[in-house]
Amino acid sequence: MEVGQMQRRLVDYTKSLFMEGFLDAQFLQLQQLQDESNPDFVVEVVSLFFDDSEKLLNDLTMALDQPNVDFKKVDAHVHQLKGSSSSIGAQRVKNACIAFRSFCEEQNIDATLRCLQQVKQEYYLVKNKLETMLRLEQQIVAAGGSIPMIELGF
Amino acid sequence: MNSSNGNGSMSTASSSGAWNGRDQFPAGLRVLVVDDDQTCLMVFEKMLKTCLYQVTKCNKAETALSVLREHKNEFDIVISDVHMPDMDGFELLKHINSEMDLPVILISADARKQVVMKGVTYGACDYLIKPVRIETLKNIWQHVVRKKARNTF
Repeated sequence: MEVGQMQRRLVDYTKSLFMEGFLDAQFLQLQQLQDESNPDFVVEVVSLFFDDSEKLLNDLTMALDQPNVDFKKVDAHVHQLKGSSSSIGAQRVKNACIAFRSFCEEQNIDATLRCLQQVKQEYYLVKNKLETMLRLEQQIVAAGGSIPMIELGF
Repeated sequence: MNSSNGNGSMSTASSSGAWNGRDQFPAGLRVLVVDDDQTCLMVFEKMLKTCLYQVTKCNKAETALSVLREHKNEFDIVISDVHMPDMDGFELLKHINSEMDLPVILISADARKQVVMKGVTYGACDYLIKPVRIETLKNIWQHVVRKKARNTF
């Protein structure tokens, strides 16, 4: 596949992530922060997000698996995940966290377990999408092309 | 703790607090940013550096407090997350307000009114909701100037 084709494919793919709500304007901010002095900034931040999130999801799973659930602890973890997901623009993960927190306040064990499943699902979806997008970018760069800037009507 | 002003060490050039490079202000604004979440910390650091500020980052409030105590007059403003394990942003804010004269901005993904109110009553000069945009960070210098102006009168 030639570079022009790959670039068009990347643009379409990235646009779809915004249209489908996986990413929001905050992700654009990250892309705009990337420059020659920091050409891997987005990859680094996203990787950090993946590491942090997997730890948080594990902690959440364990915390909700206790005989006496400590909802304050659960809430603290969800709050952190909300913060980091919003900082990279992972909109659907952030929204899932918002719902999660309200059920934590109610101390509703069934609902919070459902929320955990929802958050995990959204996380793995966005992880998959971001990895695909970053892989497309790598292929373009490897073929000697440049990453096209996305024009979005925000 | 990570000092990231490019020289690999704490800068003492502006220890008097005076703006030697007044033409370039707010470039060189000396910011201490505190957040236990490394993703957020990395994004903040990059944004603040893009604003041409001098950035020091900490992932713990206690560390931030010792840095501020050891390096008095070497920072212009503190930005701190609210919810952190051990010492949280409110406690850090209380310590800073009682021991030194620095503007403190609180940031959080928590937009609940009672939490924001707590930040205001504890004396934060601003409370920002995550995700923070770089445009917002470009304006934080006003809190430094405002505090200096208040102190002058």
